Amino acid sequence: MSGDRPIDLRLGFIPLVDCAPLAAAKEIGLFAAEGLNVTLSREASWANVRDKVQAGLLDGAHMLGPMTLAASLGVGGERVPMIAPLALNLNGSAITVSTSLAREMRVLDPEAMAARPRAARALARAIQARRERGDRPLTFATVFPFSMHNYELRWWMAEAGLDPDRDVRLTITPPPRMSARLKSGEIDGFCVGAPWNAVAVSEGSGEILAHASELWRAGPDKVLGVTADWAARNPDVLRALLRALLRAQAWADAPENRDALVELLARAEYVDTPAEVIRLSFDGASDAAQTPGDHVVFNRYAAGFPWLSHAGWFLAHMLRWGQIDPSVDIPAAARGVYRPDLYRAAANEIGAPVPLVDEKLEGAHAAPWTMDEACAPIPMPADTFFDGRVFDLAQARRYGASFDIGRLGGA
Amino acid sequence: MRVLIIDPDEARAALVAEGLAGVRPLTVHRAAALQDVEAELSAFAPDVVVVACDSSDRDTLESLREATDANPRPVVMFVDRSTPGLAEAAIEAGVAAYVVGGLSPGRVRSILEVAMSRFQLMQKLRADLDKAKADLASRKTVERAKGLLMKERSLDEEAAYRLLRKLAMDSGRPLGAIAADLLSFAEVLKGKAK
Repeated sequence: MSGDRPIDLRLGFIPLVDCAPLAAAKEIGLFAAEGLNVTLSREASWANVRDKVQAGLLDGAHMLGPMTLAASLGVGGERVPMIAPLALNLNGSAITVSTSLAREMRVLDPEAMAARPRAARALARAIQARRERGDRPLTFATVFPFSMHNYELRWWMAEAGLDPDRDVRLTITPPPRMSARLKSGEIDGFCVGAPWNAVAVSEGSGEILAHASELWRAGPDKVLGVTADWAARNPDVLRALLRALLRAQAWADAPENRDALVELLARAEYVDTPAEVIRLSFDGASDAAQTPGDHVVFNRYAAGFPWLSHAGWFLAHMLRWGQIDPSVDIPAAARGVYRPDLYRAAANEIGAPVPLVDEKLEGAHAAPWTMDEACAPIPMPADTFFDGRVFDLAQARRYGASFDIGRLGGA
Repeated sequence: MRVLIIDPDEARAALVAEGLAGVRPLTVHRAAALQDVEAELSAFAPDVVVVACDSSDRDTLESLREATDANPRPVVMFVDRSTPGLAEAAIEAGVAAYVVGGLSPGRVRSILEVAMSRFQLMQKLRADLDKAKADLASRKTVERAKGLLMKERSLDEEAAYRLLRKLAMDSGRPLGAIAADLLSFAEVLKGKAK
């Protein structure tokens, strides 16, 4: 759109490390290069992000992947069809508990607490001990009912035989408040995105038990969300926006830009957290050792590609926990919201290699591999799940129903 | 009807409470944050929760609709969508409302409309105050620039003011901006600013 008058856009975000593509595109001039005059609006809650995008007060936003699916299905609010034409990152969240709970877990089950990720079996023992003592149940917080964080925490707990709806109390807390609430004892643990786990570690209030990358070595998280209506009315603007964000993701992932990115995110108008803490969340810092792995990925491994199999995995967990009706056609719902076709059109224009398939088997690669079904081979990471399962979009319903603990069938 | 107002802005919450006092039999509770009233929430049992959009408690409030044991009175509905544009207008005004239990949408609408008008009123009051402050600051700047001209150019007050006004009119810029420029140039010439 060069040559024309700049197009004004308002995009919302929540103070988290994975707002990086938006912040970088703004600050290094990538939006401007596409003729976009973008105002970034820091929001106080995910509900606000959703409502402002739906009411047209924001053109688009940094969103939780499952939020776009829930809104499109009319779950947890009004039905407003949304689309996710770009994933903003892979990985980044983690499960943290208070240092006192971690200590108790270590005493009760040193073996589970020596494993990576820390096994929830130790948590199950702590819960059992509390029950016998007649103590109050433990409280865990996530950030929104429709979030990777909610499904991640539930997945991890249920694998050890815990029912997250019965054995603990689950609550919602805004990310910037997690560490303070952990310190005051209002909550005993949480699952949240970077840098808020590293904040709890650096403040001495918490210990990280599992990084998202230890549960699913290359799992989805945030997306760019816009309403389907806005996308239909502004196809060229959307493509320009996607080009700018794709370039910003490449910039944000490059090791030589890491220092600049950390400084940028630390600023008051973005995450408003000391740079050294932001850096810890990129390095995967837990209590003592650094956990190896890809902690927040913006661009490598076609990280921006909105895989239908990622959407399907979210929907399968929404089904598992009773958030959506069993009659929902998962592959169709995924296809209606996640839009690899729009990604491909924008990525082609800037010469980025694009996958030519819309879905992949998730959890099936134990070692790094090369995606050949792409316009140029794309190096891909190992993507196994900690429970050894595999997710196939065509079998999504069966996958969602295959767990012992869930709101479907068995339990 | 029992209304809970959650707003980190105390003055604005007071304004909303005052506005609601005119609406039928009503008990109003105010809190800066949900956690301040979480313990008494089941005792107060609000029918409606009015929450400022800049409060970070909205996500927690919405999750109450999911809670079963902890909160037996689920938050069931965002603003009434049967009135076109109401939800959008409310969000634009910076206020959201949640209905608890089975209250009729019509009764909530009046509450929300009062809250919206009070939020807008507060916004206007704040804007007026900001403008008054800016006017005052500009007046002070003009006074100082006038004093500078009187001293440096040996003008009387009236002539100094006329000169400033002429500069403003010639350049098509506000008097306050011209005065501020003059003062900063003077500082450079005196070697104070570098």
